[in-house]
Amino acid sequence: MDKDIIKEIFLLILEIFKALCEIAWSKTKNLVILIWDRFFGLSDVSREQAASHEWGVTGENKWPSAPETPAIKQEEPQQEIEKAEVMYPPAVHELPDSYGDNRIVLMVRDPEWLFTYWELRTDVVDCIKSALGTMAQDARIQLRVYDVTDIVFDGNNAHKYFDIEIPGGVRSWYIRTGEPGRSFCVDIGLLAPDGAFHVISRSNAVRTPCMCVSEVTDEKWLSIEALYEKVYMPVDGSISETVFKKTRAVWQETLKEGVSSAESSGGLTVSKK
Amino acid sequence: MGKGYLSLILHAHLPFVRHPEYREFLEEDWLFEAITETYIPLINVFDKLIEEGIDFRITMSLTPPLISMLTDGLLQSRYIRYVEKRIQLSEKETERTRHQPEFNRLARMYHKHFTDARHVFAEKYHRNIIHAFKKFQDAGKLEVITCGATHGYLPLMNNNVNAMRAQINVAVRQYEKHFHRKPRGIWLPECAYEPGVDQLLKDADIRFFITETHGILFASPRPRYGIYAPIYCPTGVAAFGRDMESSKQVWSAKEGYPGDVSYRDFYRDVGFDLDYDYIRPYLHGDGKRTNVGIKYYRISGKTDHKEPYSPEGAMDKAAEHAGNFMFNREKQVEHLASLMDRKPIVVAPYDAELFGHWWFEGPEWINFLFRKIAFDQKTISLITPMEYLEMYPVNQVSTPALSSWGYKGYHEYWLNDSNDWIYRHLHKAAERMVELASVYQYTTGNHLKIRALNQAARELLLAQSSDWAFIMKTGTMVEYAAKRTKEHIFRFTRLYDDIRANTIDAAWLSEVEGKDNIFPDIDYHIYQ
Repeated sequence: MDKDIIKEIFLLILEIFKALCEIAWSKTKNLVILIWDRFFGLSDVSREQAASHEWGVTGENKWPSAPETPAIKQEEPQQEIEKAEVMYPPAVHELPDSYGDNRIVLMVRDPEWLFTYWELRTDVVDCIKSALGTMAQDARIQLRVYDVTDIVFDGNNAHKYFDIEIPGGVRSWYIRTGEPGRSFCVDIGLLAPDGAFHVISRSNAVRTPCMCVSEVTDEKWLSIEALYEKVYMPVDGSISETVFKKTRAVWQETLKEGVSSAESSGGLTVSKK
Repeated sequence: MGKGYLSLILHAHLPFVRHPEYREFLEEDWLFEAITETYIPLINVFDKLIEEGIDFRITMSLTPPLISMLTDGLLQSRYIRYVEKRIQLSEKETERTRHQPEFNRLARMYHKHFTDARHVFAEKYHRNIIHAFKKFQDAGKLEVITCGATHGYLPLMNNNVNAMRAQINVAVRQYEKHFHRKPRGIWLPECAYEPGVDQLLKDADIRFFITETHGILFASPRPRYGIYAPIYCPTGVAAFGRDMESSKQVWSAKEGYPGDVSYRDFYRDVGFDLDYDYIRPYLHGDGKRTNVGIKYYRISGKTDHKEPYSPEGAMDKAAEHAGNFMFNREKQVEHLASLMDRKPIVVAPYDAELFGHWWFEGPEWINFLFRKIAFDQKTISLITPMEYLEMYPVNQVSTPALSSWGYKGYHEYWLNDSNDWIYRHLHKAAERMVELASVYQYTTGNHLKIRALNQAARELLLAQSSDWAFIMKTGTMVEYAAKRTKEHIFRFTRLYDDIRANTIDAAWLSEVEGKDNIFPDIDYHIYQ
């Protein structure tokens, strides 16, 4: 009997201890997460402006012509948001914060910009960190953007690359490559203080579109250069500069002014002002 | 013998908005306004042309969500309720304005407009105006083309070819059900193309699609005739390029026809102008002022002084603009024909809802244009892209460039700070749907599971509508778009979890099936 009572008392003390631990954890959890994010940046906080990047060549240090533009585009000021006519109750079901994946996905936005988002598993990151040993605490999360045009990328044979340092908590990034008509791939990884880059996840490869009239002319049509130029000439225009430049200029002007649904309020969805 | 062709293409699309859980729902008005102001006026124009024996050709994309809504019993009866309230309001307006002749005749015009819409919708086409479009197609005047199943932006889901293929194949199956043949052409959602999309079209027996100008301009090898003849993708699917000049004349905010001072002003609506208690019965339940579709003023430029609308003046102007448009196309075609060894085709695509809804006189402009082309000139003829391909089956082979008809010509409008958060969820859901289709490919007999799998496919498709990302960027009705995205992803995720854990909640599934009832015949195996 005595044994049972002692056992009961022991279990009771254990329960009280567990409860106290839980309370203590709930109090300090946010702080721990905050510190964790600050150093390892694995949950979603706001995105910040990135510093300008420099190209490097895989296996070497730098690639000479460094684009000067910042890696994140300053978005246009937000349009004035008008209140919807009906107030909707806040969505009951918020979406999952993560899916337990360790992956990075790369998308093309336009000829000069890419978009990437990622989700990293802490166990994968921890594994890399434990291999880094004492260097782990100074390791930084980076994106490495490779030019993989026309090659089968094996991690070491890119034409060139550049790095983007990622602030803690960010989970997506707009990357300015400034290079239409090239293929890219992105690694997310830890840059150790000794300069070694440890890949956490590698993205899919994407290709940016060309933004120029093709120089490939079908052999059968080699003699059509002049004809082609004339066809592109505006009906009542007489121009001396090359038609391609002109056509492109007209096209870009047209885009600015807006001649499609996306910006001239053609669809009903946009008409609800 | 004409010298070239004009191909007018109208893209008719609305996102799937249907809320049986509410008695009435503000966003359902998008459909009702479009039926009253765009689809029925266009149907009337086509019916009259056929009746009078005037030949014409036009191409229209009727998107799968639009077809689903136009053939849905609940929305059909709600439309009747909508239009009857408008008839009632126009009667009250006729009475209220009896001492103001310049407004009274407009109130009568609207009364006629609404009663006519009701008649055409309910009596003439028995609530299903898809029958009208099928009739015009069968008569050889209209080519109806399809679109993505829910207007999903294909290049932004390109990490999952099964998801892209499902957008095409579900659309094709629905088209066959309503038009009793396969679609020969497609309007790619947002005109967004990237190399590789044509393979999916070819697999679905689709013969042609339309690209934005630079899709052809930057194609490789360099297209000999530019945008004035189609090219064949390496797969053999034809791509037609949008003509900038004709687009600009109609679309341009600065110089486009719809901004002319003779035309009706879209923004001055009695829903905002009249005494609140008077207009209250015609507003939605929440009582917020909204457009009710009766507008008395014409566009008066940059001044607060508005002149009453004059239908006669507006019709004269529409005729004049139709003549101007035709004249410019004649000149354009004459010039192009002198440079080409075949007849050029000028492809002029527009959002259908521009005509009638935004540009009140738009359907009449089309009416005048078709009549003038038939009687007043011999240089150009109307044609559909398919007829052109039949006439010129040999075309240059070239791969179009990635492009869309959105702002700046690429994906930015659908991929920016306001909406980029959706893609990690959309991609995950698509990946999971493919997984479900693979794991449960041999499921038979378990009707509950099959229903859940099919509903998961519907939820994924609905979440993929490019409209939600678009609305988030425009900045109006953002909450609704975000709510829809979250709701469909949530429903999908719950179905996924329930199917995997074998814990499907039959009652909840029925409820969701009742709400998101698009594509009743869908088969989840399309994701295999």
